[in-house]
Amino acid sequence: MSKASFLERRQAPKESISVTIFITALAIILALLFGSLLFLPFGVDPFNAYSTMVELGFGTLRGIGYTLIKATPLIFVGLGTIFAWRSGFFYLGFEGTILIGAAAAVWIALLTDPEGAIGPLPRLLFLLLVFLVSFVAGGIWAGIVGVMRGKFGGNEVILSLMMNFVALFLVNYLVSGPLRAPGDLPQTPRIPQATILDFIIPGTRAHSGILLALFAAIVVWFVLRKTTIGYKQIVAGLSPRAAWYGGINVGNRVILAAFIGGGLGAMAGMVEVLGVHFRLLDGLGEGTGFVGIVAALLGKLHSIGVVIASILYAGMEVGADVMQRRSGVPSSVIFVIQSLIVLFILASDILRYYRINLSKLFGNDRGKKTLEVDSST
Amino acid sequence: MVPYIELRNINKRFSDVNANDHVDLSVNMGEIHALLGENGAGKSTLMNILYGLDYKDEGEIFVQGQFSDIRTPSDAIALGIGMIHQDFMLIPPFTVTENVVVGLDEEGSSPLLDLDKAARSIKALSEQHGLDVDPHARVEHLSVGEEQRVEILKLLFRNAKLLILDEPTAVLTPQEAEGLFEVLRSLADNDHTIIFITHKLHEVMNISDRVTVMRDGKAIDTLKTESTNPRELAMKMVGREVVFHIDKNLRKSGECVLQIENLHVDDDTGYHKVQGVSLDVHSGEILGIAGVDGNGQSELAQALMNLRPIKEGNIIVNDVDVTNISSSLHRSAGMAYVPADRRKVGSVSELSVALNTILGNINHYTTAGNLIIQDLQVREHAEELVERFDVRPPNLTLDAGKLSGGNLQKVVLGREIMLEPSLLIVEQPSRGLDVGATEYVRRQLLAERDRGTAIFLISAELEEILALSDRIAIIYEGEIMGVINSDEAVVEAIGLMMGGTRFKDLPSKGDDE
Amino acid sequence: MGLEQLFTSAFLITWLAASVRLAGPVLLAALGEIFDELGGILNIGIEGTILFGALTSFLISFLIGNAWLGILGAIIVGIISNLFLAWMYITVRANQVVVGIIFNLLALGLTSYTFRAVLGTQARPQKATMIETLDIPILSDLPFFGPVFFSHSIFLYITIALVFVSGFVLYRTKFGLKLRAVGEHPRAADTAGINVMKMRYIGVMISGAAASLAGAYLVLGQLGIFRDNIVSGRGFIALAIVIFGRWNPYKAALAALVFGAADALQLSLQIFAFKIPPQVLLSLPYFLTILAMSGLMGKAVQPAALLKPYNKN
Repeated sequence: MSKASFLERRQAPKESISVTIFITALAIILALLFGSLLFLPFGVDPFNAYSTMVELGFGTLRGIGYTLIKATPLIFVGLGTIFAWRSGFFYLGFEGTILIGAAAAVWIALLTDPEGAIGPLPRLLFLLLVFLVSFVAGGIWAGIVGVMRGKFGGNEVILSLMMNFVALFLVNYLVSGPLRAPGDLPQTPRIPQATILDFIIPGTRAHSGILLALFAAIVVWFVLRKTTIGYKQIVAGLSPRAAWYGGINVGNRVILAAFIGGGLGAMAGMVEVLGVHFRLLDGLGEGTGFVGIVAALLGKLHSIGVVIASILYAGMEVGADVMQRRSGVPSSVIFVIQSLIVLFILASDILRYYRINLSKLFGNDRGKKTLEVDSST
Repeated sequence: MVPYIELRNINKRFSDVNANDHVDLSVNMGEIHALLGENGAGKSTLMNILYGLDYKDEGEIFVQGQFSDIRTPSDAIALGIGMIHQDFMLIPPFTVTENVVVGLDEEGSSPLLDLDKAARSIKALSEQHGLDVDPHARVEHLSVGEEQRVEILKLLFRNAKLLILDEPTAVLTPQEAEGLFEVLRSLADNDHTIIFITHKLHEVMNISDRVTVMRDGKAIDTLKTESTNPRELAMKMVGREVVFHIDKNLRKSGECVLQIENLHVDDDTGYHKVQGVSLDVHSGEILGIAGVDGNGQSELAQALMNLRPIKEGNIIVNDVDVTNISSSLHRSAGMAYVPADRRKVGSVSELSVALNTILGNINHYTTAGNLIIQDLQVREHAEELVERFDVRPPNLTLDAGKLSGGNLQKVVLGREIMLEPSLLIVEQPSRGLDVGATEYVRRQLLAERDRGTAIFLISAELEEILALSDRIAIIYEGEIMGVINSDEAVVEAIGLMMGGTRFKDLPSKGDDE
Repeated sequence: MGLEQLFTSAFLITWLAASVRLAGPVLLAALGEIFDELGGILNIGIEGTILFGALTSFLISFLIGNAWLGILGAIIVGIISNLFLAWMYITVRANQVVVGIIFNLLALGLTSYTFRAVLGTQARPQKATMIETLDIPILSDLPFFGPVFFSHSIFLYITIALVFVSGFVLYRTKFGLKLRAVGEHPRAADTAGINVMKMRYIGVMISGAAASLAGAYLVLGQLGIFRDNIVSGRGFIALAIVIFGRWNPYKAALAALVFGAADALQLSLQIFAFKIPPQVLLSLPYFLTILAMSGLMGKAVQPAALLKPYNKN
């Protein structure tokens, strides 16, 4: 007779929706609990801290504005992650594409300065131009890694991580040298007023970048779900050998994945400079390239999931920034919580292999009563 | 006499399947005991439990009369039990010696390796049992037959007295199999005990002393081999009268559909795998390519679809030279292909059944210049396939990977057949399938042939080639040894050709015996 | 000063000595990672682990004043943090790349947080008690070889010793054979009686201890301070060194030297008034890694089971 214990191992993982919700909720709660430990040394009550963060990020108009601002680049990086990773291209170089996209955008913007080489342009034309140049710049940047992987079998994980550092040095060079504004600070001149993105919510600094991000989310969803390109990308990502059998050139798929992923990542940089910083400077978007990936994972690599996860993470970041000013809790606490959430969710998958026996917990051995967290057999 | 090994009341469940249903088994010392059953009968599960790779839910194991709690392979090894799997458990970049010695850790022995000493012992052991092999050779350079000898040496080196072999002849020519049987007989004569898992009736009759038949997880019966016959065993194995071959209609073949001219193809490592193959296939005919797995058949099939670059030679389908057209165009040229690996190559496991039915033929279901997929058309196509080929469960959104082997093969085969090709290339169509699914697949192939499709059939199961083919070509090391009509086929001759003898060099009948 | 100066022995000595010195921490991390990858696990979390080791050793050394305790603390933290990683990789069987990346983000957040929590938010670089350089008697007085090879931190001598120890363990012991078997064909190793999970756990923890120690090396053996970006991708460079060195400790040592040389070039060339932007030189090690990993240099035959989780069923 098998002995029933509190946690009983199953033969095959339980895959129902209610189990998924249960273990995900458990993971999030656990992550928040661990995170709350970090508030204690500063004399801040964790529960208070979390509710304040939510309130600050989502409860006030101003907060919502900031949340949308922070969410926009995260969404772009997340979308880039979706397109690239689902094609089987494990690109991690979004930090770099943000910088490249930002640099390209600033360069074009400065060129449309009245004293620049291009001069002022009609708004629509400018937006189109800056979008194209930025996207293509990011696409080529990531495309380099894509070609190395697609044509030569290079390891895109390490390659893209290394390219991040190269991008860092490139921008550092640009803002200290060729593009530097007069003065000593490592930054470019401010971009012309005419190139700044529109504010869309009065009373906040939220800019139209969020609209572009949401539009991009729909496009990415549509391409992956409804087009032949999407089908081929996904098959190439799920099973390169089956793709090969089905006449799909996996190398080309990878290069396309790199280009699109890089372009989307560049968008994050573009909106950051055209909507928030208005110039290129060192340290732009630091961390966003990775938090965006984490948000995409939280969103299960689906467009809608990415949008929701990005907004959630952004709201938390806004809250954390204010908390740092008020109570001294370092804002890096948010990196910890963001990563713990996804790590614990990944770990929680192992719980699918277990079944909870409530009866054993309460010492009742009469007739095994199992808590089967599922909605059908 | 106490049995050497006794398994009592072994029960093992995997989620909702009872892989071993209160199984009893007893094997005597010095005996060659066959464990017979079809795929999924529970034979491997039972032996994995005996070897400690799996753990029983219920039941007891007795070794030489002693109760033994075997939980890991180390436990089994300590009791003198050794197992050789269908896929060899050898590490390719390691030498023979390293493979034999790895994991061996006697109590109190030094943590340092002494490979030279081990190599000498292995050489001695190999000579003692007629298992010729070079201890310093790397396994990746050995032939399949040599690899198997290394596996046996591994067991003998650890003083295994009981050897369990899982489908050992799957990758051998008939002659190599005979060689293996000699080794096994000699081991049995020397106080070793052998358990031999197989689904091949003639092997059971050839070599075993006693046979236990398993079906659906249960041990059906144990018989002395000399007192039974293949028909009886087959009935016990399947539970009903087995039709040994399906009646083929007389061949009505027509024009030449496929012409392969002097084809040369390399494999992934750059090795010249297909060396000057010339063949033709006509409509309404099945050409069976017989040969042990690994002699170039896969590369040949892949080259036909241009999934593999063609070094030299031509391929002509319906009078059109398709040698250099891109692989995505082959299906529109009238070709279809069912690959050997249905799960990793023929389908995408994490994709729905519906989306799998358009793999390789996406443009047929699109609009707007082949950009947008027409969900409705895809679903209709998938529904038709599922119904026509009786795929169960008929759930279009189910991940293809969740289908059973037989049902997945129906999806893959059905997809290719529904393309209405003039040439259908099929590789190992019934590998890993139970008798019911195998029968179904074979009937479908014959039906296609009757409809006028030309079929290029590759199978490592000689019995399947004989059952289905109109003509048989034997391939060995990338060359065709001979092409014969199936009604003139003689198994020994084919076996010799599979082992490298050319048709013209075959001993003529009446030479000996 | 001009091009001729480049070829004086003064420059060469400085450059080589710096190369050896800078190669140290990455080599140490790479050695640990070799064990890990030969067992079949790719531990991208090295970057974060080095960070953990750097912070731990810094804080302990700064607050208590004892560098050796700092080293001990780093090793302990490295093993514990990688125990969690090992659990995620091996038991939970989560995607190794994903877990590694998130772990690095976690490490960044946690170390940044802890540093500020302990030292206050306006932390200026504080110096910790370091391990002094050890001049090996007599040998360090040799004309060329003295400063290049025998005048280094004890960390370096330990690292070099570990190269030989690793080579011995991997190729001359039963443990080494078992570990390599696990990374090539875990199922075969399993059937031969080897505990695949245990071997992989050990591999990851060796990597954790080494990486963490490399962090301590950076802080207590080289820089003396801690800052957020102190690791700057060295963990990833270590991964490249493992591949470049074909999973062999001796070849890895040579590979590390090449990267150290690239790194050292920016230090050495800066004494000249060359018109090369400093960023170009700073990015040399990264370019080198890119070249090594691009696939243009041919495909490395990696442990066959690398990145593939092992499931007994």
